[in-house]
Amino acid sequence: MLEVRNLHSFYGDAHVLHGVSLEVNSGEVVALLGRNGMGKTTLIRSIMRLAQPQVREGSLLWNGEELMHLTPHEVASRRIGLVPQGRRLFPSLSVVEHLTMLKPASAKHGWTVSRVLDMFPRLAERKNHRGNQLSGGERQMLAVGRALMIDPELILMDEPSEGLAPVMVQHLETIIADLGRTGLAILLVEQNLYSALAVANRFYVLETGKVVHAATAAEIKENQASLLRFLGVH
Amino acid sequence: MTLAGINLLQILNGLTFAALLFIVASGFTLIFGLLRIVNLAHGALYLFGGYIGYTVSSVTSSFTAGIFASIIAVALLGLLIDQGLVRFVRGFVLREVLLTLGVAYVLDDIALVIWGGDTFSVDVPTLLQGAVHIGGVFYPKYRLFVLGLGIVVFLALWLLLNRTRLGALIRAGVDDPEMAEAVGVNIRRVFLGTSMLGASLAGLGGTIGGAFLTLYPTADWEILVFSLAIVIIGGSGSLVGAAVGALLVGMLDTVGQVLFPQFAYFVIFGPMAAILAFRPMGLFGRAT
Ligand SMILES: Nc1ncnc2c1ncn2[C@@H]1O[C@H](COP(=O)(O)OP(=O)(O)OP(=O)(O)O)[C@@H](O)[C@H]1O
Ligand SMILES: [Mg+2]
Repeated sequence: MLEVRNLHSFYGDAHVLHGVSLEVNSGEVVALLGRNGMGKTTLIRSIMRLAQPQVREGSLLWNGEELMHLTPHEVASRRIGLVPQGRRLFPSLSVVEHLTMLKPASAKHGWTVSRVLDMFPRLAERKNHRGNQLSGGERQMLAVGRALMIDPELILMDEPSEGLAPVMVQHLETIIADLGRTGLAILLVEQNLYSALAVANRFYVLETGKVVHAATAAEIKENQASLLRFLGVH
Repeated sequence: MTLAGINLLQILNGLTFAALLFIVASGFTLIFGLLRIVNLAHGALYLFGGYIGYTVSSVTSSFTAGIFASIIAVALLGLLIDQGLVRFVRGFVLREVLLTLGVAYVLDDIALVIWGGDTFSVDVPTLLQGAVHIGGVFYPKYRLFVLGLGIVVFLALWLLLNRTRLGALIRAGVDDPEMAEAVGVNIRRVFLGTSMLGASLAGLGGTIGGAFLTLYPTADWEILVFSLAIVIIGGSGSLVGAAVGALLVGMLDTVGQVLFPQFAYFVIFGPMAAILAFRPMGLFGRAT
């Protein structure tokens, strides 16, 4: 499981995360909600140990191991997959190369190219297309497929529904729910509250670099109003 | 002006010169595209490779041994420069440029100490000596060999980049190094392998070129200027761009020397400037 403790992240002098703490247990789908610019992507990038932002304080425990001193590919090799905001596919790689570029992981859950292509038949039809020749929905599927190829225990998904048509968003919800049922833990960054409600077990709300609200799905069923208030919906 | 001065001989000269330029510039463009480093020591690596190839092939009387020695030695030199120096300024373009420029001067001086200021020519193996008769002219076998080698290097690099997993990693690294690393690629290792591969191509070029352009203390700067022009014309990181750029520069240089000997450089840099005006990223470059 992932335990983020008192994380302080900076872009240069700009202090963006002010002591964020949260956890994702194995097999859980956890939604991280928050409006634009509240620090969601910053948190995801901090967990992946990317060069920016700098994390100056706090700890990132993953199954008991401190991630703070690892490089991004070492984090990935600890079976943390990333679906970044904006997909970030490789324009000069074909669909299938996105899936085969890494040495196949000694798959416990057995994520292979053919299993990913079975899950996303539309990608199978476009195997030799390049990343930039796909539709928005197909790109998002490929970004998810690429993350699955490291055989993750946890996937960090940064606004996967961004820019997708409603029917695609629904399809994505099904995919996330299916992945969750396979025992994969997912930290899902969402602005689309209803999308998050459809799939998540627990919720955090991030506001200007702080967790201001945490709730379980059951609590939200009882009282959606409080969550909406935190999101500034009304 | 007429084209009367241009004949098959000049076309072949242009093509074979282009093949050599391609071998050197392909290494330059690989390093430029992936590591985003304008490695101004690339010419010096070429010259070093040439000298090493010259020495080893003279001592062993084997051209092949000279080739392999220059490839291996210069790959190691590239590794040393990357890990010992460039690593510490990675991401700071101006420092990288100045550092590699400094490395070029230091390598030049070391070469001057070891090999002196004389002009050397790598001995061509007997098999490749002499000329063959094609299209009404006698043409040196060795230069045709260089043309063939250029094509072989192009095909090998193309297959490596487009048909292997390592090639996919290199392309992903050229596209988006941060994301490549975040999805699990040990990008440092890919960088390292690429800089060694790029350097080894300079080394190979040195020995090959040393047999028909000869080796002398400033030969490295001439090759560097040509490589820069090729990469700028073709677009950084593009193999096809390097091939097209090398053809253009090789032909323009040869033709230019015949038609406008007094404007030899203008003939290359004039069209280069024109191309840049319309395609700032080069013919095959992509905006990043
Ligand atoms: N590279 C950067 N350099 C400086 N400041 C940055 C950088 N990236 C983000 N920020 C700032 O950090 C804050 C948090 O940004 P972040 O991208 O984490 O927001 P977000 O919650 O992901 O927003 P969105 O929903 O729009 O993606 C913002 O104020 C943003 O301007
Ligand atoms: Mg974001």
